[in-house]
Amino acid sequence: MGRWVSSNPTPHQPPEHHLTSGLALSASTPGLAPVISGACASPASGRGARCTRFSGPGGVPARLSSVRAFLCAMAPESGSFPQEPLLKVLPLDPRDRGTQRCRLGPAAFRTLGAHLGSAVKISLPDGGSCLCTAWLRRDGADGFVQLDPQCASPGTAVGASGFRGSLSLSSLRLVPCPSLRLLTVWPVLREGVGAPGAMNPAAVLEAAQELLRNRRVSRGHVVAAPPGAPGPVAALHVVSGAPNPDPAGLVTPRTRICLSGVPPSEAKPPPPEVPLGGLSEAADSLRELLSLPLRYPRTLAALGLAVPRGVLLVGPPGVGKTQLVRAVVREAGAELLAVSAPALQGARPGETEENVRQVFQRARELASRRPTLLFLDEVDALCPRRGGPHRAPESRVVAQVLTLLDGISGDREVVVVASTNRPDALDPALRRPGRFDREVVIGTPTLKQRKAILQVITSKMPISSQVDLSLLAEMTVGYVGADLTALCREAALHALLHSEKNKDNPAVDEADFLEAFKKIQPSSFRSIVGLMDIKPVGWEQIGGLEDVKLKLKQSIEWPLKFPREFVRMGLTLPKGVLLYGPPGCAKTTLVRALATSCHCSFVSVSGADLFSPFVGDSEKVLSQVFRQARANTPAIVFLDEIDSILGSRSISKTECSVQEHVLSVLLNELDGVGLKTTERRGSKSDQQEFQEVFNRSVMIVAATNRPDVLDDALLRPGRLDKIIYIPPPDEKGRLSILKVCTKNMPMGPDVSLENLAAETCFFSGADLGNLCKEAALLALQENGLEATTVKQEHFLKSLKTVKPSLSHEDLTLYENLFQKQGFSNLEDI
Amino acid sequence: MTQDQPLLAVQEALRKCFPVVEEQQGLWQSSLRDCQPLLASLSNLAEQLQAAQNLRFEDVPPLRAFPDLKERLRRKQLAAGDTVLDKLGERLAALLKVRDTVSRHVEQVLEIYGQHAGSIGVGAVLQASAASPSVADMLEWLQDVERHYRDSYLKRKYLLSSIQWGDLANIQALPKAWDQISEDEHQSLVQDTLLNVSFFLEE
Repeated sequence: MGRWVSSNPTPHQPPEHHLTSGLALSASTPGLAPVISGACASPASGRGARCTRFSGPGGVPARLSSVRAFLCAMAPESGSFPQEPLLKVLPLDPRDRGTQRCRLGPAAFRTLGAHLGSAVKISLPDGGSCLCTAWLRRDGADGFVQLDPQCASPGTAVGASGFRGSLSLSSLRLVPCPSLRLLTVWPVLREGVGAPGAMNPAAVLEAAQELLRNRRVSRGHVVAAPPGAPGPVAALHVVSGAPNPDPAGLVTPRTRICLSGVPPSEAKPPPPEVPLGGLSEAADSLRELLSLPLRYPRTLAALGLAVPRGVLLVGPPGVGKTQLVRAVVREAGAELLAVSAPALQGARPGETEENVRQVFQRARELASRRPTLLFLDEVDALCPRRGGPHRAPESRVVAQVLTLLDGISGDREVVVVASTNRPDALDPALRRPGRFDREVVIGTPTLKQRKAILQVITSKMPISSQVDLSLLAEMTVGYVGADLTALCREAALHALLHSEKNKDNPAVDEADFLEAFKKIQPSSFRSIVGLMDIKPVGWEQIGGLEDVKLKLKQSIEWPLKFPREFVRMGLTLPKGVLLYGPPGCAKTTLVRALATSCHCSFVSVSGADLFSPFVGDSEKVLSQVFRQARANTPAIVFLDEIDSILGSRSISKTECSVQEHVLSVLLNELDGVGLKTTERRGSKSDQQEFQEVFNRSVMIVAATNRPDVLDDALLRPGRLDKIIYIPPPDEKGRLSILKVCTKNMPMGPDVSLENLAAETCFFSGADLGNLCKEAALLALQENGLEATTVKQEHFLKSLKTVKPSLSHEDLTLYENLFQKQGFSNLEDI
Repeated sequence: MTQDQPLLAVQEALRKCFPVVEEQQGLWQSSLRDCQPLLASLSNLAEQLQAAQNLRFEDVPPLRAFPDLKERLRRKQLAAGDTVLDKLGERLAALLKVRDTVSRHVEQVLEIYGQHAGSIGVGAVLQASAASPSVADMLEWLQDVERHYRDSYLKRKYLLSSIQWGDLANIQALPKAWDQISEDEHQSLVQDTLLNVSFFLEE
């Protein structure tokens, strides 16, 4: 019983004095709308209980809406509002779905001069229009409009839930709606209705009659069937009628309905083009496949050519494979049937095959109307390599796909595009002409492509003029399109949230991008093995070893930072550096400083990452490390304690240990024949420019204190071509190490670091650090916890307990190794 | 008083229309109730057909004596099925009649409103009292009711037209699909509407 009470129209005009106060408020501070509504509601508390029941379908309380409606109505006086009252578009009430109603408030009704059920033509902001019947809102609130776009111009998006915004009242127009004697429509049939009998013209005509019953239609519009409704007809294009249904006409039971055989002649307006950044070459080859048979069917027939109908897109995740396909399809005006291969998997035996068959069948149905592209995303899940035990089900699926692909090439209507990021996992039989004729490798974008992508993304963003996209592109090595999008989004968000002053026209500037750059990591980076967060260490924090530092900078930092200069001087980039020397002499710390100063991705691999109980796993992991490092250039791959990771073929007698396999993998990665095709960047034809050289720089740094057990093949130039000996510190070095170690210690005035340095022969850097620690502890021990300074005597005392870890024999061993192998000089010590 | 004349005419038409809807709703419901057992028997027949198909008659010694048993049985079952289908067709025709009657009456009311629409203001259309809902609401409800009958009839018709003797599983699922249609739609729409206007009709 309670329903009609709620539809009881109430006077929604609040008393006069509230209005004026509300208006005064709104004139000074427009942002205070909620406050106004509260002020209005409290005096009308007698109505409050009813008001709550009046909340509109869009979740807008009626009393708020009444205030807004009032503000709209008062607009001409206040002057700051537009002349036309704006109607906010709310989502449709579920009960009104399929009724062709357009719900309006009483004021709009009066203005239009409409009565219940009169035909209203509504021009939409996106250029389309729709035809509705006018009805009153249940709550009688003004300032809102709800549309059921059942009869609308093709391609309008009102029905989509995303449509928000407002319409001005002038875009609503009352149109005369005479009864029609004759109406011609072109039916769009529902796809996938299995029974062929459902497609006979009589059934279609009957369904069309049912759909059109009592509808107002307009020429050029499409009458859509509600999604849940049964029947073979999905939509009807209104072609013509008598009298001409322009602007509108009413279908009565006496209207004769004819089916038109030809689709309405007027072509759809070309959809807005979404530019693709940096994918033009791949797009060209796809476009060619789609449009050649469309444009030159006779020429192709005359040549007796079968147009290639299959393309395999290969590339890492996020480079835009799916986007590329969608864009090309939109451009060519073709139909896209996108299927994700994992979604086809069924639980029961044979279900997957059935799904695959259905998809291809559907594609063929679509293709009978217009060119169709069947897109199989993640095809590796559907077609893994056949063979091996327990893989019979997969083999059946693969066989099914192969047969269907062969079948498709017969009628030449469907273009099949598959995408994968693991082409090696595909069955080889798929990758031959006739099935997937072409393979397009879309690599991680190069510098130029990144710039193009950034230009596309930022074209719609208000970015300030200081932002240098080239610089940004140079910084974002290893970022794919998806990462760049995320970067720009993050920057925009940052600009929005953190710039308080220019709320009205936020501009994204350089600082926002840099801030976002800190947060967004390239996606290929996320799964990388052995990625390290290192504590930054400056070069100056390492005492001594000046010439070693210089050598390291020369051989690693410079090539990474100044590739152009290296190209100019005709230098090839060094591949790797081996650091060796007695333990405790800052080999690892040096590498850390190196990573800090180079600002590049730093991957550290240890035995724990590599070794696994499965045969072949270690090798795979190592090669994965290199592959990912190459994707994120410039990168430093650090192999600490390399002697334990790798064996030596020349020394160890056991054959084929895991270490040897790992060694051979490393040798290959360092100096292999080439890269895998999947890792290609840019296009094949591109000349390798120096930017691309820049991209290829992956540097290997290995450290060991047992260089004698390393394999000879590893030490030749071209692999680890620079071999740097890290000597134990000499007297000067020890002094600077002591200075670094005691920087944070309160020293007594009598402490002489020079003397200490002279006395600590054969002390390594670690030993010296230990010495300082011991001395400080001793000071604490002697003077109690109130100790303030460390004195010389503490150092001398601890010198007696702390023994050097190096010995003369050890050093001569390293020295002899040098001389035997004829490495560089050893006069430093 | 003359200003109210058109409004009164529309209200009069509404007062005439709602009892018709009430009466037709009774017919509709009884027709639907009649369909239930028919569909169940159809589903049973499908099950029998399925069982007969699965049975290998030559393997059962007592049945071997009867010649052409399988074919005869099938013919008999199909004939029974056709009888049930004919009865269902009659019920469907009854539903169609209900639909058409309601459509005609609703159309008449809307026509009467259309004639007087020019002279009835928006305020009058929206005017409601404790006993009577506004004219706008009542017209809307009538439209909704009419659409409800149309949708419901259409769905049932498509369901019955999808029956094929080749697809026995589909026929066995018929009662469920039939109930599903009733569940999906707004079942109490007509009842609610009639309740809402009960005071208005008593006036």
